[in-house]
Amino acid sequence: MNALSLTVEVSCRGEPRKGVKPLKRHEELNRFFAEVEGRALRMAEIAVRNRDDAFDILQDAMVKLARNYADKDAAEWPPLFFRILQNRVRDYHRRHAVRRRVMVWFGGNDDDRDPVESAPDPFGRTPEEELGSARAMGELERALADLPARQREAFMLRALEGFDVRDTATAMGVTEGSVKTHYSRAVHSLRETLGEHWE
Amino acid sequence: MTTRQNRQVPDDTVANRARELFDDSVDGLDAATRSQLNRRRHDALEQAAGGVAWSWNRWVPVSGVAAAAVLAVFVVNGNRTDVTPMPANGVADIEILLEGDELEMFEDLEFYTLLEFEADGEAHVG
Repeated sequence: MNALSLTVEVSCRGEPRKGVKPLKRHEELNRFFAEVEGRALRMAEIAVRNRDDAFDILQDAMVKLARNYADKDAAEWPPLFFRILQNRVRDYHRRHAVRRRVMVWFGGNDDDRDPVESAPDPFGRTPEEELGSARAMGELERALADLPARQREAFMLRALEGFDVRDTATAMGVTEGSVKTHYSRAVHSLRETLGEHWE
Repeated sequence: MTTRQNRQVPDDTVANRARELFDDSVDGLDAATRSQLNRRRHDALEQAAGGVAWSWNRWVPVSGVAAAAVLAVFVVNGNRTDVTPMPANGVADIEILLEGDELEMFEDLEFYTLLEFEADGEAHVG
């Protein structure tokens, strides 16, 4: 046995078994995030209408999942991750609402417009550029942004992310019956808003 | 793990069209965005592995309490002067600002410090 093989043998034998698991988990988390990050970014972006903020929300959700739920079964990660993401989006909206109230209280800004709703298109598209599917996506984003938060969450998780009712309920922190109600109302509203363009 | 292959999507015209558009928009993310996604993912995993390596995390509870104290002063002053009274949901605002998970609260400290400074200025003038 030469020196190299001895070194390898000793280090392998001496390494605690549980020392391997975190590395494996790290790789699994990396793969999971790589798989969902694009869709999660777009969902957050649609909800907050700002790409930079969506990136922050996404990274924050990744950190929280990796810190608190890395030991969970990987099959449980998707609903947990999107639950964290939705919570972060809600926090974002609440903070903006608080800021607006504080500003009104101090007379600094009595503008009632919602900055999220009135934010420019995140892609910087002009009306002329919003053609074809890009235009339809713009219409969808605006329609989704106008939905109540719970309806938007139910629709995005069910229709866009493809969660079943149970996982959507876990991700939203509500009952399955509530998911069905929110989803049904969301579809009804979207049909009314987009119907003439989409039927 | 939910993947695009085994998704259970409701069969509905609006849902189907929305999903197609959404998938296209995800597939169409440009290289710069993909690159930033990659960087953010690695940053997140590093942060998570580092645990308390981010020293500012330890100051979050302190900053939250400090900001709440500043707001409380404003509430009291608002009742004593002719300044527009704090809205009824002011208490709820403080609860929101006090939430332990609100790491971003740290970013707002400058803002509340500025408000405190301005309030002091008004008090001296008045």
